[in-house]
Amino acid sequence: MKLSLFEIPLGPQHPALKEPIRFIFKLDGEIVVGAEPRLGYVHRGVEKLAETRTFIQDVYLAERICGICSAAHTTCFVQAVEELLGIEPPPRAKYIRLIVFELNRIQSHLLWLGILAYEMGFDTLFMYIWRDRERVLDVLEMITGNRVLYAINQIGGVRHDIDDKIAAYMRKALSYLRERTKYYKGIVERDPTINARAVEVGILKKRDAIALCAVGPTTRGSGVKFDIRADDPYAALDEVPFNVVVYDTEDVMARTLVRIDEILESISMIEYALDHMPSGDIRVRVPRVVPAGEAVSRVEAPRGELVYYVRSAGGEKPERVKVRTPTLANIPALCKMLEGAYVADIPVIVASIDPCLACMDRAIFVDVSKEKVWVWSERELRRYSLRWYRSREGVRRR
Amino acid sequence: MSVLEYLMVLVKTLIYPGVIFVIILSLIYEWVDRKVYARMQNRIGPFYVGPSGFLQPFADFLKLLSKEDIVPPHVDYHVFTLSPIITLYLVLLAMFLIPTGAWNEPYAILAFEGDYILALALTTFITIFSFFAGWSSVNRFGVIGAMRALYQMISYEISMFLCAAAVALDTRTLCLSRMAEVQASGLWYILLHPLGFVVFILSMQAELDKVPFDTPEAKTEIVGGWLTEISGKKLAFFRLASDIKLFFCASLATTLYLAGPWGPLGPNILWFLAKVTFVIILVTTLRAAFARFRIDQVLAVFWKYAIPLSLVQVLIALFIPH
Repeated sequence: MKLSLFEIPLGPQHPALKEPIRFIFKLDGEIVVGAEPRLGYVHRGVEKLAETRTFIQDVYLAERICGICSAAHTTCFVQAVEELLGIEPPPRAKYIRLIVFELNRIQSHLLWLGILAYEMGFDTLFMYIWRDRERVLDVLEMITGNRVLYAINQIGGVRHDIDDKIAAYMRKALSYLRERTKYYKGIVERDPTINARAVEVGILKKRDAIALCAVGPTTRGSGVKFDIRADDPYAALDEVPFNVVVYDTEDVMARTLVRIDEILESISMIEYALDHMPSGDIRVRVPRVVPAGEAVSRVEAPRGELVYYVRSAGGEKPERVKVRTPTLANIPALCKMLEGAYVADIPVIVASIDPCLACMDRAIFVDVSKEKVWVWSERELRRYSLRWYRSREGVRRR
Repeated sequence: MSVLEYLMVLVKTLIYPGVIFVIILSLIYEWVDRKVYARMQNRIGPFYVGPSGFLQPFADFLKLLSKEDIVPPHVDYHVFTLSPIITLYLVLLAMFLIPTGAWNEPYAILAFEGDYILALALTTFITIFSFFAGWSSVNRFGVIGAMRALYQMISYEISMFLCAAAVALDTRTLCLSRMAEVQASGLWYILLHPLGFVVFILSMQAELDKVPFDTPEAKTEIVGGWLTEISGKKLAFFRLASDIKLFFCASLATTLYLAGPWGPLGPNILWFLAKVTFVIILVTTLRAAFARFRIDQVLAVFWKYAIPLSLVQVLIALFIPH
């Protein structure tokens, strides 16, 4: 007898998803036999928009690609432009970039850890972690004036210095956070319900992680030692010692522990950076016109490798900006993890790659029946959408 | 029977300790649950409506009543619309069997030899009607939630009933009010049957769909489970029913293990309420301290641990001297 498979949709709106994505799962009872993702619900045309603005404006645009890893996006973009200009930011600026970057990583990982607890139905842990995350946001607000979009990086340096008063406050907050993070690590390792939901769930084999080009904590949880901070150091990373955290149990628990240990690593890195920060200027003056050429820059964002490609034709505006965010790189690995999982594990597994969907949406259209691939600009897409609505729903242009 | 006696019966069933009293108290207990849960999570909890927000559940209930009541196409209309009403009726009926100690009386409104069996049967029916609601909604999430509710039922009910059976064996009666009375003259069963009490509370957690056994309505997995398509008045009724169910299960635990309304000065409603509050706070604490199990893990917890332990409790009950 052949049993029919049950299909359930997940998304675009679903309580487990903070941003819209759609999966169609083919189910055999409670077991997933196939997962089919559909992306593109929050495409914003950022890459095209970047071409219409100057390099200086684009720094702030890049920041808005992702609110959670905003420091990663600006650092990456600014580095690419600095390479085109052939200038080097002052050493103190590099240290400040590193500090803000790692603080950003801490808040992102804490946010993620809270969401994981929420997906498991452990609301108490979720509330406690998010309460502690406020401390990192306070520190970031003290340095940059903002909690989420820091606007600290600029081409040729950073905008704000870290003085002794801020450094003292920061040390206090960091030692508090270290204690709390160790406490949470203990909970995650020992709590029987968390263990039941995370150990041997969402397996991503090491060879699959490599074959599917997974990045960041997702791949480090599968035992692959791949971290841009170590492989291709940027900012002041070549002077600050740290360990690449790798776990090899290949499950959700491994990815959780990687992130928790990375928080602890980041705290030590920031403390070291505060101790060894050179004095001097925090920025150099740069010309507005960027010479023609192209540059690729990459950083280890909280979610993994982030790549920027910037091409200049020798003007104030870039000719092309291309962003490859880590979530996009992790989607194939995610589909692999979901095969053979239980329905109840879907949210935990989806959360385990720390998806940041708005960052990755692209307007690449594939018409499967005609085997045609095309890319639309924002205006073309808008024209198409207006036409589509006018012909179907009677919605008029204002 | 005189007119006065008729009037008294009416007052007892409809007002105190009957329908209205139960509804108001259940909503207050929902507030207790929410407030304790929030404090455990380092939050404030409801605080806007009434002093310390204790009118919030009432406001929620009224708001839901005024909301649009949607019946999606293709649902099994009669089952879908009747199940909230029947569920509410069943839980209210179950509450009549509980000796509350109102008017300082030792017996419940409905007390007869065998009401214990009716009370346990009603808890099963309540779960079955939540299954009907999910199944008749023909929503994919609703169907999965409904199936999970049934899977879960065939595990926790066994351990729950076995624990209750151990108490019945020991007290040599099938009347809930008598069970409480027997304990009043001797030791409370929480002391005689500590194992049974623990397993009973654990099973209750599953009966009430609370974390860690809230798989039938796990919101991050299957949206709302069997409640997904329920809206407006139907949702208001189901939520009220689940509040009363919380009150009922806590009262059942109180009756079986904490001597119900009996205190040092005979049966009294205040003793009863104090004990029920204790059980509810216990349930809330457990709910705040765990993550959700998967459905297969829920079954494993009950079949591997809870049911054998409750069987042990039955064995022990057989050998306790009288």
